[in-house]
Amino acid sequence: MIGSGVVIVLLALLGAPLFILIAGGAMLGYLRSDIDLSAIAIEIFGIAEMPILLAIPLFTFAGYVLSESKAPDRLVRVTNALLGWMPGGLAIVAIVACSFFTAFTGASGVTIIALGALLYPALQQSGYSDKFNLGLLTAGASLGLLFAPSLPLILYGVVAQVSIDDLFIAGILPGILMMAIVAAYCLWMNRHNRQPISDFSFREVFGALREAMWEIPLPVIVLGGIYSGYLAVSEAAAVTSLYVLVVEVFIKREIAFKALPGIVRESMVLVGGILLILGASLASTNYMIDAEVPQQLISVVTSLVSDRTSFLLLLFLFLLLLGAILDIFSALVLVVPLILPVAAQFGVHPVHLGIVFLATMQLGYLTPPVGLNLFIASYRFNEPIVRVYLATMPFLLLLMAAVILITFWPGLSLFLLAE
Amino acid sequence: MNSEADNPGFIQRADHFGRWLENSCLAVLLIGMICLASSQIFLRNFLGGGLPWADEALRLMLLWLALLGAVAAARDDRQIAIDVLSQFLPPRPQLFVLAAMNLLTSFVSFVLAWYSFSFVAESYQYGDVVLTDMPAWMFQSILPLAFFLLGYRYLIWTVRRVIMFFRDTGNAP
Repeated sequence: MIGSGVVIVLLALLGAPLFILIAGGAMLGYLRSDIDLSAIAIEIFGIAEMPILLAIPLFTFAGYVLSESKAPDRLVRVTNALLGWMPGGLAIVAIVACSFFTAFTGASGVTIIALGALLYPALQQSGYSDKFNLGLLTAGASLGLLFAPSLPLILYGVVAQVSIDDLFIAGILPGILMMAIVAAYCLWMNRHNRQPISDFSFREVFGALREAMWEIPLPVIVLGGIYSGYLAVSEAAAVTSLYVLVVEVFIKREIAFKALPGIVRESMVLVGGILLILGASLASTNYMIDAEVPQQLISVVTSLVSDRTSFLLLLFLFLLLLGAILDIFSALVLVVPLILPVAAQFGVHPVHLGIVFLATMQLGYLTPPVGLNLFIASYRFNEPIVRVYLATMPFLLLLMAAVILITFWPGLSLFLLAE
Repeated sequence: MNSEADNPGFIQRADHFGRWLENSCLAVLLIGMICLASSQIFLRNFLGGGLPWADEALRLMLLWLALLGAVAAARDDRQIAIDVLSQFLPPRPQLFVLAAMNLLTSFVSFVLAWYSFSFVAESYQYGDVVLTDMPAWMFQSILPLAFFLLGYRYLIWTVRRVIMFFRDTGNAP
């Protein structure tokens, strides 16, 4: 069993698709336990038995449509009008706009592509250093992962069978903490460049809001719909995608009808990848539970650590390492079912575990050598990857400090839930 | 994709058509899902009851969408993968590793296709139904079909990369 595990990890590092390895591993396990291999098809068919999964293609598609339209320009304009008057305001504008956009586009790296082209030259013009801008945008695009309706939050809810509504609420304060820490650093770094980019003008605020009047109701539709009890999460996703489609294609007419199949393809390639890994891991997880892997894991971990604090420390280090090599979606479906019972053993609340998991995996977007955002930024801004590593490093360290706080202070995640 | 530039004509046209077909299927399914799910909400909230088969239909459409999305991803070799070690290899060994991984992917996909097929055949024999009275095998058949297409796609990738491996020492794809 350990031997085949090592081979699978090696093949993964060599670039074999993850779902192939997970499905292959599960089938090897079936062979060993004399289970009919067609059971794997039944497990993958299980994708069609989880209604909540509908939210994944629908939100992803809505996010892709938004990023292909001129909505990013409007988002930047509104944020600028509202916050640009503050000293160091543009950095704050970048942080807020990125977080908002990442929450809506499912944390798949689209943020850098969609907002980078707008914010990078604007930051340059306002006299920020290139290295700072590069780091800020690369790191900023990972913010917002903890805000509704981000895809990883939904997927954690699916895998851990935790209420997604609760997760959305639990993510608010930790998400704000991460934004605040990055914002404070930006203000301090640019304390000598305190020229606000613009005066506050009601006229500009009004104009920007008017221009964006079709997109502004979006958060209200999603969050209002869910928390008023009118819509389930997957229904909110359906309404969001219908609304975005009607607005950007028929009302704003920024997306040609002909371009739609291409956008559908791009978004569904991502969705197919995620759901296939989920389907394959349904099979491998069931096998591992049959083989009592979680129990073995519990006994190994309890022999290493004895209390909750040291367990959380071990968890944090493990997730940091995991995030550096594995993308957030695969890590979620593969690892969460295994660590959930262990965490329960140490009295860690499943919602808190989810926030810790996602916040730490968020660092994985920025961790060399394979952080996704590092590559996208290097490609988008045409900078050597090593320069991106260096520029992002201070932000990575600050976010790491935030994640440590989030990990060891469960109240931050759970406080609003108790209300 | 060198091999395509080398012999335009049939292969290129087939690729173009395949892409168009994938895009159309995905778009029809997704737009259908959006409309069905939205009308379901409308019916439930304003007319006090939805279509009884809609929820199950939506879930089946999701399965199709996910598998077809994976097939579309395979056309450009864009499955989710880690790919750390091969980054550090020179182009030719990198091609070799790619070809080997493609072959493995193809093999596992064909195995998955075979066992999905036997799952569907069994379901056919037992006369399983979905959506109250529709035969389940029709909806389940996307499993063997998609895995077969994945296997086929990655077999082509393997051949392409083997050809490139022997032909030029130049750039990796």
